Amino acid sequence: MTLLRALSAELRKAATLPGIWVGVGVMIVASAALTAYNASMVRGALAAGRPEDTAFGSAFDAAFAAVPLGTVGAVVIGVLVIGSEYTANSPDAGGGRQITTTLTVASGRVRVLAAKVLTVTFLVATAAAVTLAGTVALAAVVIGGHATEVVAVDTALARSGGTTLYWILTALIAFAITVLARSAVIPLLVLIVNSSLVSVSLLLTNLTPLAHWLPDLAGRRLFGLPEDFTVPGGLELVPGAIVMGAWTLALLLIAGIVFHRRDA
Amino acid sequence: MRMMRAVAAESVKLRSLPAVCATVVGTIAAAIALAAAIAASATDATDAVQVTLATIPFLQVGTILLGVLAVATEYQGSQIRTTLTATPTRTVLLAGKTLAYLATATITSVIAVGAGLATAGITLSVRDSAFMANVNAWQVAGAALYLVLIGLLSFVLAVLFRSLIPPLVTMLALVLIASPLLARTTEHARWLPDRAGSLLYLPVADSVLTAGTGALVLLAWITLTATTAATAFVNRDA
Repeated sequence: MTLLRALSAELRKAATLPGIWVGVGVMIVASAALTAYNASMVRGALAAGRPEDTAFGSAFDAAFAAVPLGTVGAVVIGVLVIGSEYTANSPDAGGGRQITTTLTVASGRVRVLAAKVLTVTFLVATAAAVTLAGTVALAAVVIGGHATEVVAVDTALARSGGTTLYWILTALIAFAITVLARSAVIPLLVLIVNSSLVSVSLLLTNLTPLAHWLPDLAGRRLFGLPEDFTVPGGLELVPGAIVMGAWTLALLLIAGIVFHRRDA
Repeated sequence: MRMMRAVAAESVKLRSLPAVCATVVGTIAAAIALAAAIAASATDATDAVQVTLATIPFLQVGTILLGVLAVATEYQGSQIRTTLTATPTRTVLLAGKTLAYLATATITSVIAVGAGLATAGITLSVRDSAFMANVNAWQVAGAALYLVLIGLLSFVLAVLFRSLIPPLVTMLALVLIASPLLARTTEHARWLPDRAGSLLYLPVADSVLTAGTGALVLLAWITLTATTAATAFVNRDA
C-alpha cells in the first residue's frame, strides 16, 4: 500500500518534470522525424527502381534505423528521474534539494528507490511502445506498396520486444549510476557517448574480448539488426540479454545499498 | 581597456571552477588514454597522425562540455547577477567570456592533440611500427581547431538556453547520434556543423565541401546561433 502511494507520488513528480518530457520527446518525436526522412529516401530509391541505393527494403527496417535515438531518450529518462532530486534549488529560495523533501515524506529509502525503478520502467516501456508502433506505422504509410521485403510478424514482435527490453535496461543502468554519482551530468555524458558510434566499449573490444561482456555490447543483439549492421563477435542474443540484465540488477543492488546507507 | 578587464575576470572565473579544471584535465587524460588504446590495438599499418585523428570524435565531448560549463555555471546560482552588476555592458561581458573560453579551449585542445600525438608515436614505436610515415601538420592543426570550434558552438547554445543539461544533451545528441544516423541515409548530412567541421582534419574528400569551405559552414552555424544568443542575452532579463 505504501509502495503504491510512493509509486503514485514518483509518477506525478516525473510527469511534472520538463526534462522527462524532453526525454520522451526525443524518443517519440525525433525518432518519428528521422523515420519520416529515412522512409521518404527509401521510397524514392525503391520507386525509381534502384533498391541498391538504400540499405532498407522494408518499412520495419527503415523505422528501426532510428533506434539509437530511443536509447538517448531512455538514458535521459533514467538519469533525470533521480538526478532531478539532487539538483540544488536557487540560493535565493534556500538552495535546498528535493531529495530532502522526498525522504522526509517517504522515509523508507528502499521503497522510494523501488518506486523510482518502477516509474522508470513504466515511462520507458510506454514511450517505447508508442515510438516503435508509431515509427513502423509511419514508415509503412510513407513507403506504401514500394517495399521489396516484408518482415514477418513474429520477427517484428520479437525485435520490438528486444528493443524495448534494451531501452528499459539502459534506462535502469543510467538510473543506478546516477544514484551513485548524485549528479546528472556525468552519467548523461558517459552513457550518451557510449550509446553512439564512437562508443568507448566498442574501442575496448579491440584491446580485449572481455569488453563484449560490458552491458551495452552484451545486449546489442536485442535490436535484431542484420549481421552486416553490427560489429561481429561478442555474445549471442540470449546470453547477451542475460549478461545485460545481470549488470542492471547488480548496479541497482549496489545503488540500493549505497542509497540506503549514505547520507542523502 | 574595459574589454581586457572583462577577459581577465572571466579567465579567473573559469580557472577557479572545479568542473572546468576537471574537464580540461579529463580531456587531456582521455586524449592520452585513447591514443594509447587505439595505437595498441591497431591491426593495419597506421601512423601517429591517423591514431590521433581517430581520437577526435571522443575528445570533442570534452570541449563541448567546456563550452557549456563556461556559461551554465553562471546560471546555477545567482552568479549571473553579480557578474552583470560588476560588468553592466552585456556585449562587453559576452565578448570577454567568449575570449576567455577560446583561450581555455585552445590551450586544452592543443595540449590534448599534442599529447595524443606523442602517446601514439611512443606506443607505435614500442610496437615497432613505422610511426611517423607522413605527418600532415595541417590535419593535426585542423583537428585542434575543430575541437575549439565545436566547443564554441555549444558555448553559444548554452548562452541561448541559460542552463546546463539541455544544451549539453542537444550538442551530444546532434554530434554523436543524429549526425552519424543522417549521414547513413543522406548526402545532405555534410551540411551539419560537425560533419562540415570534421573536414578540417579528416582526409576523406567530400564532393562538395573542402576543408576551408567545411570550416566556413561550421562558422556559419556558430555565427547564426551566436547572433540569436547575443540578441537574446542583450535584450532579455538575466
